[in-house]
Amino acid sequence: MSALDQREFRALFAQEAQIRLSSLVQLMLQLERDGSSVALIDAIFREVHTLKGSAAVVGFDDVSQRAHSLEERLEELRSGSRAVTPELIDSLLSAIDGLTVLTAKAVAGDGTEPQATGDETIVDAQRHSQAGPATAPVVDARARQRVEAAAAAKQGIEAGRARRAHQAPDDNAVVMVPVARLDDLVRLVGEAATASLRVGRMLAARLEIEPTAIPEFSELSRLLNTLQERTMRARMVPVATATDQLNRAVRDLARSLGKLVTWEVRGGDTEIDRGVLHQLTDSLLHLVRNAVDHGIESPDEREAKGKPREATIRLQAMQVGSEVMIAVSDDGRGIDVDQVRGQAARQGIDTNELNDDDALQLVFRSGLSTAAFLSDISGRGVGLDVARASVEAVRGRIEVRSEPGRGSEFQLTVPVTLAVLPCLLVATGGQRFALALHNVVVAISGDTGTPAYAEGRPVIWVDDQPVAVSNLAQLLHLPASTAGNGPIVVIAGSNQRHAFQVDGLVGQGDVVVKSLSPLLPRLDVVAGTSVEPDGSVLVVLDPPGLVDLAQKTRPTVTTLTELAVRPVKSARPNARVLVVDDALTVRELQRTILERAGYEVRVACDGIEALARLGEDPGDLVLTDVEMPRMDGFALTEAIRADPGLSNVPVLVLTSKSSDLDRQRGLEAGADGYIVKSAFDERGLLAAIERLLGSRR
Amino acid sequence: MQALLVPVGLDLFAVPMELVDEVVAAPLLFSLPISPAAILGLFNLRGEIVPMFDTAALTGLGRLSAWPFAAVVRTSLGPAGLGATDLPEPATLGEQIGPSESLGTAGIYAVGRRLAVLIEVEALLASATIGAHVVARPGHEERG
Repeated sequence: MSALDQREFRALFAQEAQIRLSSLVQLMLQLERDGSSVALIDAIFREVHTLKGSAAVVGFDDVSQRAHSLEERLEELRSGSRAVTPELIDSLLSAIDGLTVLTAKAVAGDGTEPQATGDETIVDAQRHSQAGPATAPVVDARARQRVEAAAAAKQGIEAGRARRAHQAPDDNAVVMVPVARLDDLVRLVGEAATASLRVGRMLAARLEIEPTAIPEFSELSRLLNTLQERTMRARMVPVATATDQLNRAVRDLARSLGKLVTWEVRGGDTEIDRGVLHQLTDSLLHLVRNAVDHGIESPDEREAKGKPREATIRLQAMQVGSEVMIAVSDDGRGIDVDQVRGQAARQGIDTNELNDDDALQLVFRSGLSTAAFLSDISGRGVGLDVARASVEAVRGRIEVRSEPGRGSEFQLTVPVTLAVLPCLLVATGGQRFALALHNVVVAISGDTGTPAYAEGRPVIWVDDQPVAVSNLAQLLHLPASTAGNGPIVVIAGSNQRHAFQVDGLVGQGDVVVKSLSPLLPRLDVVAGTSVEPDGSVLVVLDPPGLVDLAQKTRPTVTTLTELAVRPVKSARPNARVLVVDDALTVRELQRTILERAGYEVRVACDGIEALARLGEDPGDLVLTDVEMPRMDGFALTEAIRADPGLSNVPVLVLTSKSSDLDRQRGLEAGADGYIVKSAFDERGLLAAIERLLGSRR
Repeated sequence: MQALLVPVGLDLFAVPMELVDEVVAAPLLFSLPISPAAILGLFNLRGEIVPMFDTAALTGLGRLSAWPFAAVVRTSLGPAGLGATDLPEPATLGEQIGPSESLGTAGIYAVGRRLAVLIEVEALLASATIGAHVVARPGHEERG
């Protein structure tokens, strides 16, 4: 066997051992629960025997020897000389744990070196086995184990070959793939899909070809979408892959505390992103230990309350849309909400305005949970606030419900996958940003009337709760944008909500998030980046970081109130604006608005007439529609940019054409601004004009 | 030593040629909010998102007012753009004239009648992260 072969075999052994050891734990728990049966004992034997053989083949003699010892102890069960007792199961589980640790060390190359390898071992094993004691008089116990193990492995390999020879290819066969390789694949497929969108944009912008009209391009897009969906599915694992260790934790802790607990799993086949589940496992472990330690009463106490002596802890998983809900419930004593209120009061938290459900959620606050509910057993010094932080790290949320005397339920809701992030795209400070949709509480119009004020900040009311408002561009130190009546996006942070005023809502979309370059320092307000279909870099903001920053930043600039009462006047009194629109009503409406703001207004019905007017007097700004007879707004803009006498005149496009493609076309034609009529409002229009004229002063 | 000469105002900086990937003209920069002043933003280089650094701020020369070019350099942590005020050019460095004082630099070299300060790319960019030469923008928090 070559060195490379050996490495490969050991990697395979590591995977196999992990599965067999996990299976052994489950079989032991089943043995304790259901009692001994020939079939069950045989199944346990097979696992141990095969593990012993495989370890010997790859040269992990210590592992093989330990498996052999376990096999000998199991022999007592098989012969019926020992009964199944919780103490015996404790002891066998402990032996399996020891075997797990030893296997991990051997695979990591930590102190266990191979004594013999592969084929040589098998050949030696055959020779010794066939020759027997007469020709091999000095065979110590260790060597005998190796011989037996290798023979078992050889037997298993041959049996496997025989099975494969008679079997058709198995559609359910499994290939183990390193997670990093899979993650890389998901990322590349996501980028390929984005790149194809960019190609589509390029076709439309440069060649004026509508990409969806090209069957080959449509087919490519469809295939890439399917590929992306299937690749992401490859990262999915059933929730059940994490429940074995939870079962074990419940069992061990219940025994140590003298409690009787049944463990139930429902919806274990619900699939979830492996990374999400991995991140949740510690939190789930914490919750089930907490349930056994604090939630579940002793058998006598339960009996006295009229409950079954044996309690139940249940994990239930189900997919709800793009999220997976995992609930851990128990039928124990429940959480004493008065105790929570008392503990909160001692920490200076006013709970008078909170109903019981809201007060209960305080158990996730730092300090309070540890002091009130956790012991070293369940929490190991870690509070429920850490569980919440873990859930939020995968963009999830956690809630608790409880009924005194009936039990508690912790509900974790997390995204099915982290590979793409559903986002709200907003425009502010001349740039687009993405906000994780699951943190967005609501987006509302900026025309909220006269806002309330608190501590120098404008405040809006959301669900009857006051929420402070910050201007996102100002908060991020970006160029100040429109007047203060842009839409307001309310974001949920870790502890509080905060509202952010932006220039506009661009839309929703799934964003393939990339990490920031490691050359950059950690930025609390940035969760990652992405490349948009038009090639723009999209910065994905981190909502909790954003809320934290906003809460720490004192408002020093124009507030909503000031903006609301400030009359919008022309930045340049008597500046001349040419309004170009074929619709009389729109034209006259715009004329009225602009004249009221102090501008001199001329009008034209289409691009041709507009060029004639500009020839007479270039004016200071052109406000144009797109769809017009004879010459549309894009052509007009291009003509203005091509004319040396007009090329410096700002052009603002005001149109009902709202697609990204149209917007891109307008900007490529040379427009300085692009306003969609559906989002049109007087203040926004005037602010845009003011900004353009101001920038040309 | 073969190097790329990166003009920064009146100064010239030299980047070892083996660390240079390419020169990009007029990279379209996107702001990275609340970042140290030496970080100008991000640009898209054929699908890869590359951070762009203010070479003047990094080397203690103040702030670069415009960045019509970026020298894309390779580091162990990924590509980075170094802002240049004029088109960078390849050159062979002459003898070392003397030591240099700024962090992330490794001496002053002759290039004909001109002088160039040799950049130690990784050390220079590390200073952007730790804020050694960070010049805070008005209203910005200075971050380490």
